[in-house]
Formats: sequence, C-alpha cells, structure tokens
Amino acid sequence: MPRIDAHLHVFTKASAEFPREISDVWPAEREESVEKLLGEMEKHQIDQAVLVQMAGASIENHRYLLQCLKAYPNRFLGIGLVPEGHPNPADHMAKLTDNTGIIGFRFSTFGGPRDIFAKMDVREFAAYPIWECAAERDYVLWLYPNAINAHLLPYLIQEFPQVRIVLNHLAVCPGAGKFSWDEFGRPQVQVTGYNLFMHTTYRLARFENVNVHLSGQYAFSKEEFPYKDLAGWHHGLLSGFGAKRLMWATDFPWILEEPGYGKLTTVIEELLPNLSEAELADIMGGNAKRILRFPDL
Amino acid sequence: MILPTPEQKAQWEEEGYLVFENAIQGEDLKRLQNAFDYWADACKEEWLDRVEAGESVATFYDIPSPLEKDPIFIDIIDYPSYYGALMEFTDHDLILLGPQVRTVAPWPVSYTGWHPDVGQSNPLHIKVQIYVNDVEPGSGEFGFVPGSHKPGSGPYTRPMRQESMTGHKTFPGKAGTAIMFNSCGWHVSMDNHSDTPRKSIILIYEKRTPGRIGPEQYASISAYCQTPERRKLFSLDG
Repeated sequence: MPRIDAHLHVFTKASAEFPREISDVWPAEREESVEKLLGEMEKHQIDQAVLVQMAGASIENHRYLLQCLKAYPNRFLGIGLVPEGHPNPADHMAKLTDNTGIIGFRFSTFGGPRDIFAKMDVREFAAYPIWECAAERDYVLWLYPNAINAHLLPYLIQEFPQVRIVLNHLAVCPGAGKFSWDEFGRPQVQVTGYNLFMHTTYRLARFENVNVHLSGQYAFSKEEFPYKDLAGWHHGLLSGFGAKRLMWATDFPWILEEPGYGKLTTVIEELLPNLSEAELADIMGGNAKRILRFPDL
Repeated sequence: MILPTPEQKAQWEEEGYLVFENAIQGEDLKRLQNAFDYWADACKEEWLDRVEAGESVATFYDIPSPLEKDPIFIDIIDYPSYYGALMEFTDHDLILLGPQVRTVAPWPVSYTGWHPDVGQSNPLHIKVQIYVNDVEPGSGEFGFVPGSHKPGSGPYTRPMRQESMTGHKTFPGKAGTAIMFNSCGWHVSMDNHSDTPRKSIILIYEKRTPGRIGPEQYASISAYCQTPERRKLFSLDG
C-alpha cells in the first residue's frame, strides 16, 4: 500500500514565469521546491502527496503547482484555490482541472448566516454554486472552515452527499484573530483547552462522504513533538470517523525545521499506538489513494 | 421536601432515571421562562462573537453565571418536586456542581453523541434536565439507555445515528418537565429537526466529597443562601 502525504505545499521564487503573492513568511526569494519535497519523501519512504495551492488564487498563481503536477503525474494530485467573490467560479475551476491533476479546491468560508439560529436556505449561501459545480464535476472539497462558518457545513453536505469532503488539520475551525506564526516559521492557531470541535465538525462523521486529515498538530499543540496533548483529539476522530476516513499529512514545508519531516512520518503511531497494522496503513496512505483516486505507481 | 416513593426508588436503582412531569408549573414556570428568554437574548451576541473568535461552541450556548442573573435560577436548584429525590439518593449529602442554562439550535445533527459523563468510580453524579419550552419528539429531546448506569452493563458503543442506540428511550416533554438521571448512564440530546430551539436547564449535582467545590465558587449568591441546607448545597461553608 502506498504511503501518501495528504496535504502539503510547494512554491518557487516569485517571478514572471511563476507569479505568486508574497509575505514575510514566503518572501519573493523563498523557495520550497517540489524537488526538495521529493528528497524528503524519498528519504522517508513516502510515495505520493497532495500539493495544495497557496500564495494566490488566480489562474496565474497556480502555474508552479500545475508544472509540478505535469512533471510528476504519478506522484502528485493537486488542490486549487478560487478567488473570493469570483464572478464565475465554475469557469475558474474548469480551467484549473482540465486534465491537470488538480482534483479539488480549498475553502474556509461558505457565505451563509453567521447565526446558527437564523433560517437556513442553503441555496442562498454564497458558496452554493461552488458546491453545485463540485457535485457535477466530481471535485473534492478541501475545507478548513473559519469558526463562524462551521455550523453551515452540514446543510451543504446534506444537499450534496456525493461530494467528497476532506476536513483539514484535525477538523479544527480556527477562530478570528487566533492565527500567528512561530519562531520556526510555522502557523500557530490558538485553540481552547476544551475541544469545541467535537460539537461541530466531529459531528459530521455521520455523513459518509466526510473525511479528516490527521495533520497540523504542531499548530494546535501546547507541547513539542509528538504532541501528546492532542492524543485525545485523535482518539475522538478515530472513534467518530473510523480508520477508513482519516488521512495522515505533514503540512510541508512549515514543519521542516521543527519537528522535521521524518518525525512527522511517525506521528500517527505515536498518537494512536493501538491501531492495527492495516488501520495504520490505511491512514498513512490507503485512504488517500482510495478517496482521492491516486494513480497506481 | 417530597421524598421519592418506593416505586420511584426502585426505578432509580434499576433504570437510572426518573421523570417528574409538571415539576415546575404555574407562576414559577412563567418566571423561569421569562428569565431564561430575557437572559438568553441578552447574552446571544456576545456568544456569537466568541464563536467567531473560536472561544465558544457554535451549536449551543449557555447563559454565563446564571445564578447571579435571576433568583429563579437559584430557586430551581433545590426545587421541592425533585429535591427530595436528590437528597434521598445521596444520603442527604448533596452538592451542586453547576447549572447549564442552555439553548440548543436546530441543526441537521445533534451537538453531541451518546456518552456517559463519569465512570463508575466517580461519586454518585446526578443531572436534572428541566425543559423550559415544550420539547416534541425530534426536537432535541433527552435520550437515555435505561440500566446503562449499572456496573457491568454494556459494553456500549456510540452509533453513528442517535436513534440507532441499542435499548434507548427518548423523553419528549412539556415545559416544566424535569428528568433526573445517573450520569454514569449513556445519554444524549436527540437530533433537532424542528424549527424550534431546545431551551433547557441542566443542573449538575454530586454526592459530597471534601473539597470538591470551594466556598468561593458560589460566594456571589451567598445572600440567597441563608439556611444551613442551602449553604451546604452550595458548599458555602467549606
């Protein structure tokens, strides 16, 4: 069974050939190339990976991702972005998925009522056309919902039960103003000690098309690797979703310095030590292969 | 104080729950509903801000510090219709752990799955859930597995759907109904497919153990707790 890293990012230096947004963390001259990633994968026996677009949502911003997918069609699948408020998201998504290796798109907002007590008409949600398009074209939706959006999800999932959903990073829904970067250049998301998500995203386990990444531990944990304070979260997700709907991922490149790619290939064994060999193999790649339809190597 | 009948005692032992219909009624129920609605409305925006900031659960909210907000929330802690049973079952050595004055939104999925709150080694832990509005079937009513509180019962596993739990019973009820249950037992809030939020109060009690609740916990309502019984219930004298 292949070992698949189900969520990570690569980017190259900003240039006319590969335009991208820049920030303090990914300045124009920074490069975290696909070759560097392949080196880590090789070293730690990881066979395939999902490359997730970052640093811009325009078609042009996706050029490096598209080049990587074209260069290594059997190794990678891609997840794209849609500019917020795009007048024709279906057109944008179609352009990016035309035999390119991009299989879906990442979102964090759904454009519905902020108040869970409001009347919910899912067709009025701003994200409805995107979900409709995903259902028609079999795109995967890669979701990292903002905290104020989490309650909207089951309405969309009910409406589109055929859409494959992957909740990113332990199904956490980051709160506004709770995001920062640490001294290792890693995203940090401040979360409460009490696991709020067991009353929102964990409850979506009932929907068979919903899957969850076991990743991003470094961003939520108050401890160093292996992030034992999150063991309960992993057990909760395992008990709710089962071993067939969980996918391991590293979130490369943020983890390269601390704790390092190699250590993260063992994080599931550390946090879920009672998994059977078959369950571990599923989480480490079997599920990603089946759910995301990775090609045979 | 109304003590439980022999039948109620037997049911408590065997099944782990009791239902008190019309436990709160008349003027007291109106007072409770008015206070609940007033404070739920007053606290809602702040709760939504906390949801947005990732500091509160998105699918239900509790009125913060309710005992300080209206004396009716104190009066229901030792309300005669069920207080006698609480005292009897804890050998007259009862403490309040806390109230949850809770509004649960209609949502396609219940906000929680089947679970017990405590293990068998915990001191007797009892909850009383009081419906503030009418709770029809399919609108977030309480569910319980009779007998699941007993040592050696089960094993139980959490099903994907609330209604698939083996041997469970659901408890729709009119406003003012109180359901008392042993928190070792498996329980849940059923799905709420209605258009109506479920308004209820969950009172959490335990058989006293030294130091479990400090005197500072309820010091702010000390003026309402003049009798020795109340001071003991609220752990005001240590």
